[in-house]
Amino acid sequence: MNVNIRERDGVTILDIQGKIIGSDSLDLKRIIDEQIASSAEGEAKLLLNLAKVPMMDSSGLGVVVAAYTSVQRKKGRIGLLNLGKSINSLIVMAKLITIFERYNSEDEAIAAMNK
Amino acid sequence: MPEEFVIKLELPSEMQLIYVLDSVVAEIVKEMQFEEDAAEQVNLAVIEAGTNAIRHGNKNNLHKRAYFEFHVSNECLTIVVRDEGEGFDPDDVADPLDPENLLSTGGRGIFLIRVSMDEVTFSDHGRKLTMVKYK
Repeated sequence: MNVNIRERDGVTILDIQGKIIGSDSLDLKRIIDEQIASSAEGEAKLLLNLAKVPMMDSSGLGVVVAAYTSVQRKKGRIGLLNLGKSINSLIVMAKLITIFERYNSEDEAIAAMNK
Repeated sequence: MPEEFVIKLELPSEMQLIYVLDSVVAEIVKEMQFEEDAAEQVNLAVIEAGTNAIRHGNKNNLHKRAYFEFHVSNECLTIVVRDEGEGFDPDDVADPLDPENLLSTGGRGIFLIRVSMDEVTFSDHGRKLTMVKYK
């Protein structure tokens, strides 16, 4: 798993590439925690681009849930971009589909998260 | 390829070796020509079972092993996973779909195994997991 971090219009975008399985979740958690910690109260806007993530296990899903909780605590926002069928199914099965903001295009996500 | 055979894999309790397990199961479901959705479900169930065996069963103890058997037949794939941990009661696992647990950061692995496979059986005090996926 590789993660590229970039900024666009006040939103931190994490372009994640590769499966998120096994020990990857620990690496991803560390990266996300660093991004949230460096954001001021009310300014944490995190977009996880999952277009190139073909698979995620329950540990990876746990990291996304933890990120959601941390961002909420800081009165920020977190969105999921470009979910593939497999990860979407995972989120549906876990009954988290109504929890996460989901977007199919980066422009749409940026606009929504800056409202 | 023979009609029925068994592939055995023995892994030290190192989470980075989950990628080895992932590669093996990906090749097996490909050879067995599972449909895409079923193949992904088997892959996820095996990753979850391997993670449970290494992280929760063997507690990442490198002296302990996780054992995997893939029984391949024309009708189904039967997977047996064993660890060398203390065991657990699979009926005493919190329901991750309970509203109180929805935002829990863990506890979804066994649930995902159960919904991904056609048959799931725990034995030997939770140290042995047998799961079946039909074609």
